Amino acid sequence: MAVVRSRRARRRIGVVLSYAAMLTIVVFAIFPIVWCLLVSLKPESEIVSAQMTYWPRTVTFENYVAIWTRSNFPTLIMNSVVTTTITVAICIVVGTLASYAISRYRFRGRSALMLGYLVVRMFPAVMIIIPLFIVMRGFGLLDSRLGLALAYTTFLLPVFIWMMKGYLDAVPPEIEDAARVDGSSRIGAMVRVVLPLVLPGLVATAVFIAIGAWNEYLIALMLTTSTGSRTWPVGLQLMVGEFQLPWGSLAAGGIISIIPVVVLFVLVQRVMVKGLTAGAVKG
Amino acid sequence: MTALSEARLGDGDRRVRRVPHVRLGALGRLSERRGWAWLLLLPSLVMILAIILYPTGYGLWLGLHEMRLTRPDRDGFVGLKHFIAIADDPIFWLSLRNTLVWVVGSVVGELALGLAAALVLNKDLPGFKLAAALVLLPWFLPNVVAGNIWAMMLDPRLGVINDVLVRMGVLTTYRAWFAEPDLALAAAMAVEIWHGFPFFALLLLAALKAIPQDLYEAAACDGAKAWDQFVHVTLPQLRMIIVASVVLRVISLVNSPEILLILTGGGPGRSTQVLSLYAFLKAYKEFNFGYASALATVMFLLLMLFSWAYVRLSNVMRD
Repeated sequence: MAVVRSRRARRRIGVVLSYAAMLTIVVFAIFPIVWCLLVSLKPESEIVSAQMTYWPRTVTFENYVAIWTRSNFPTLIMNSVVTTTITVAICIVVGTLASYAISRYRFRGRSALMLGYLVVRMFPAVMIIIPLFIVMRGFGLLDSRLGLALAYTTFLLPVFIWMMKGYLDAVPPEIEDAARVDGSSRIGAMVRVVLPLVLPGLVATAVFIAIGAWNEYLIALMLTTSTGSRTWPVGLQLMVGEFQLPWGSLAAGGIISIIPVVVLFVLVQRVMVKGLTAGAVKG
Repeated sequence: MTALSEARLGDGDRRVRRVPHVRLGALGRLSERRGWAWLLLLPSLVMILAIILYPTGYGLWLGLHEMRLTRPDRDGFVGLKHFIAIADDPIFWLSLRNTLVWVVGSVVGELALGLAAALVLNKDLPGFKLAAALVLLPWFLPNVVAGNIWAMMLDPRLGVINDVLVRMGVLTTYRAWFAEPDLALAAAMAVEIWHGFPFFALLLLAALKAIPQDLYEAAACDGAKAWDQFVHVTLPQLRMIIVASVVLRVISLVNSPEILLILTGGGPGRSTQVLSLYAFLKAYKEFNFGYASALATVMFLLLMLFSWAYVRLSNVMRD
């Protein structure tokens, strides 16, 4: 009996320790985000006071009002929405076709092609940014949302193709064969049978790409020069550097801009994690 | 044009032709032709060629040319001039040294923390699934937000981290983390580690879950304690994914100067200037496209060399 009880006690200690370790890591991961939220809800006087206040004594939304009405933040957000949408649209059309071909058909040069899509991700952004700047200027695409979206596909399209291929690989080929036997053409089997099955994966991939485009800073900094196409990361950073943006507004702007990221992530988190880790599980 | 393997597509089926598929008519017929796979690939190949391969080639070409937007009269072929200048450029060597410290420190920190997080989260207890999702959040945060949150928290006067550390007795006075040359790179690395460790946690957690349970049972039968199981079962099973994720992470750390650009801009002095930042600033601030491209080329070659050596080495060590 004593042995059993001590074993049970030891297990209980183990569970407690597990929770303690888990909570430590979660707090480490999300404390800065929570802090940003708290700062955004504090009035200016509490933020700059020498006596640190952790929990806001008075909750205020004035920082949100300030960044939204007294800066060009809405325009910046709109530019980001448009750029992200174009990027995702290009990736969905072009990337789905490519990943379908790679996942479904066996042709000469297939593995070289897959490796190629991986290797292009190794190219330094800095090396591509300069020629893109020159080329975009030549085509009049500099400082335009379409030009920026095209630049984003350079690093996001290969990611899309690889991730989407993983989801497509998980759909058994027999399903297509059955559709073919029923008289469907290849494209019919693809559009009517396979793509609906892989829709959750397609959505997760699109969200992953959208977050990448939404967050991007360096390329946008180089390729946009005016408020007509400038995205929110560039605009916000510019406000920090040039106008000494007050912390409250900065925190509010940060929270506004990460809300879509967090919401989208929560919605597709499970499928997305499965897709991102497909390689890890296979080894 | 290459032939598709027809084995699985079963083109011989006569019913394919008898049952008309109206709405996809022309496309449907097109999709039965040989080379359909290449047709599907065509748009992506065109795009990759136009927006990745062509600019990359252009970038290599630029490295051999003088090109300053501010002095267009000087443009022209200069051969290896930039590369010779780079070899003599003390800022290049300093940036290279900083890059090494930055990348090695960040990757080691992220891997260690990611592995720890994965081991902790790999439990079948209530709430752990949610925790695994929450831990991923930093990775999805934009650099601009992540950088500025930390800049606020590390502020020399009003930062919460100084306050906490002083209260805990770790520090006696507030410190200006990003103003001291010796401290700035370490502080930036801490931010980067926070931002990047979920990437490793995500992949390692998935890999941990895929390890067959009977391997542990067998080890336990042989009397292996927890530590021995970790060393002789867990680590070997994670080896491949660790090798692969480290190389991916190194590539993106070398290539992306974003977080440093936001946190320090390379300062104070040049104590946090890494190669990618140096090249970017040469292009963005000075419009010296030729020299910046040459720097990017050197960076790319060093990265290729590293990847090749690293993969070779990790293969050798397995044998």
